[in-house]
Amino acid sequence: MEHNVYIPKLAKIIQIKEEVDGARPIKTFRTTFLNNNDFVFRCGQCVMLSVFGKGEAMISISSSPVVKDYLQFSILKMGRVTSALHEMEIGDLVGIRGPYGNGFPVEDWKGKNIIFIGGGIGLAPIWSVLQTSLNNKDNYGDLMLIYGARTSKDLVFKGELKDLRNKMPVHLSVDVEEPGWTEFVGFVPQNVLDKKPSPQNAIAITCGPPIMIKFVIKALKDLRFEDEQIYTTVENKMKCGIGKCGRCNIGLHYVCKDGPVYSWAELKKLPQEY
Amino acid sequence: MKKLGSYKLYAPRKDEDIWNYETIEDSETLVDLDYQNTIVAPKKIIFPQREIFLEFSTSNDNSLEIREVLPDDKPVVIIGLRPCDGRALALMDKVFSGEFKDTYYWKRRDQATLVGLACNTPPSANCFCLTVDGSPHSKEGLDILLTDLGDKFYAESLTEKGDKLLGEAKGLFQDPKPEDKKEVKKIQAESDEKISRQIKNIKNISAKLKEMFDSPFWDEESMFCIRCGICTYLCPTCHCFDINDEVASSSPLKGKRVRTWDTCQFPDFTMHSSGHNPRPDKASRLRQRMFHKFQYFVELYQNFQCTGCGRCISYCPVGIDIIKVLDKVKDYGA
Repeated sequence: MEHNVYIPKLAKIIQIKEEVDGARPIKTFRTTFLNNNDFVFRCGQCVMLSVFGKGEAMISISSSPVVKDYLQFSILKMGRVTSALHEMEIGDLVGIRGPYGNGFPVEDWKGKNIIFIGGGIGLAPIWSVLQTSLNNKDNYGDLMLIYGARTSKDLVFKGELKDLRNKMPVHLSVDVEEPGWTEFVGFVPQNVLDKKPSPQNAIAITCGPPIMIKFVIKALKDLRFEDEQIYTTVENKMKCGIGKCGRCNIGLHYVCKDGPVYSWAELKKLPQEY
Repeated sequence: MKKLGSYKLYAPRKDEDIWNYETIEDSETLVDLDYQNTIVAPKKIIFPQREIFLEFSTSNDNSLEIREVLPDDKPVVIIGLRPCDGRALALMDKVFSGEFKDTYYWKRRDQATLVGLACNTPPSANCFCLTVDGSPHSKEGLDILLTDLGDKFYAESLTEKGDKLLGEAKGLFQDPKPEDKKEVKKIQAESDEKISRQIKNIKNISAKLKEMFDSPFWDEESMFCIRCGICTYLCPTCHCFDINDEVASSSPLKGKRVRTWDTCQFPDFTMHSSGHNPRPDKASRLRQRMFHKFQYFVELYQNFQCTGCGRCISYCPVGIDIIKVLDKVKDYGA
């Protein structure tokens, strides 16, 4: 019998970090597989994460493929499965199947400058590429991060962002003014226009809420980025993860299998139904 | 039917005027093939409305166990499939193949021998198989095709599975006479003529649809839809599904992960947990159904994902008629 794609592998939660508390809490989980870890993935790929008794949800891997000791997921508490995950403790078991999706074409980006543009939890899928390109810094040109959230409390990876400043320019923003905030105030697309990254030999990757992505792309176009230089990820409700259950499609593309990563050149050709 | 004792048999059975596929448990039961078509398509035997993927449980030491649950190992014979329903499985094969083979589907599919029954007269006034590249005597997807010759059936084996089954049913069949073959040809030609609902030449429907994505047409056509999902549940080609955990006990944890049929016509089919919904209204959902069948599937697999069985027309409570919709699409803007 061939491998049954619907059977998840068991993994243990080995670390839980509270990133954001309050009404929209975010936690970062690290997991290791119980049995031999032959799990290979690309930046930007996702897994179907199971909480047994609650179900499965498609979650992007926020760690880099160069890290072999664990898989990392940064998860906003939102629906049934993610709410259950937020109740879990170190040592608890989850199920993982995948990896699914196309991932970022990082091999094609060798020698290029990369601008990472994230909003809120959207930094999670970006983080995998960002760590990978930092790890192979000689392969890439200049790196830059532009990242924002509603308030400074809503920023994820706060400690890691501090360290990151030693390695690349980091431009943070919050939506509205708050005491003690010394960086940009305003939405992420405005910060992009303010920092004016050059399209010269560059790739821009943007992840975040759909409305932010829409205006980031507009900002990048204003800065004369070509459609082929802009990459983003699409989210849709998913159940199977393998292009069969029929709900995540945009036109004839199943986002779970053919996405979630699209260049703007590809995405703009699809029906605007996402 | 004693001859086929090693197989699990499914055949159309009548229960209070409703025909549906049932298992024939009793080998003395006569299989009655004097029927029109079943309400639920025989896809339910290969792709059940509810099936268990796995079971999970925690034991006393809090360790979690997962047990894969696969379909039974018993070979199956499905007798009397209308050719449209046989073709539908050939189309569904494409969906469940590819890079990620669906273990559950193929376990059932590989074990099943499909014995089709040609339609001498259209089983429904809404049959339109000829419009979507099918025919009342299509062999696609089937292992054996039976043709009713009045006092006997003409059986044509189409695959190795078909040969094997006919071999095992030796004694039930005799070698055909030359006039039998002639009669089959005649019946087939006549049956084509009897299909009353047809649209000529929908070859360009896929390209035409592509231009109509943003058209107000979908609002108009979906106006009366009550989003019951009948069109998709009864459709022999619709394959969309949901996966959920069913919990029998939460402490210690004991439950099952199950696949169930789902439908693109339900609002929460595509709704994100944030509340955002990419297909938020009836118009976008009817459009999805039509595009999936006559645009996306055509580009992906070079076939319409419709075999013209007419069930979605006959059983739609508000009279949405896929033939009329296709006809309007064909002439839209002309």
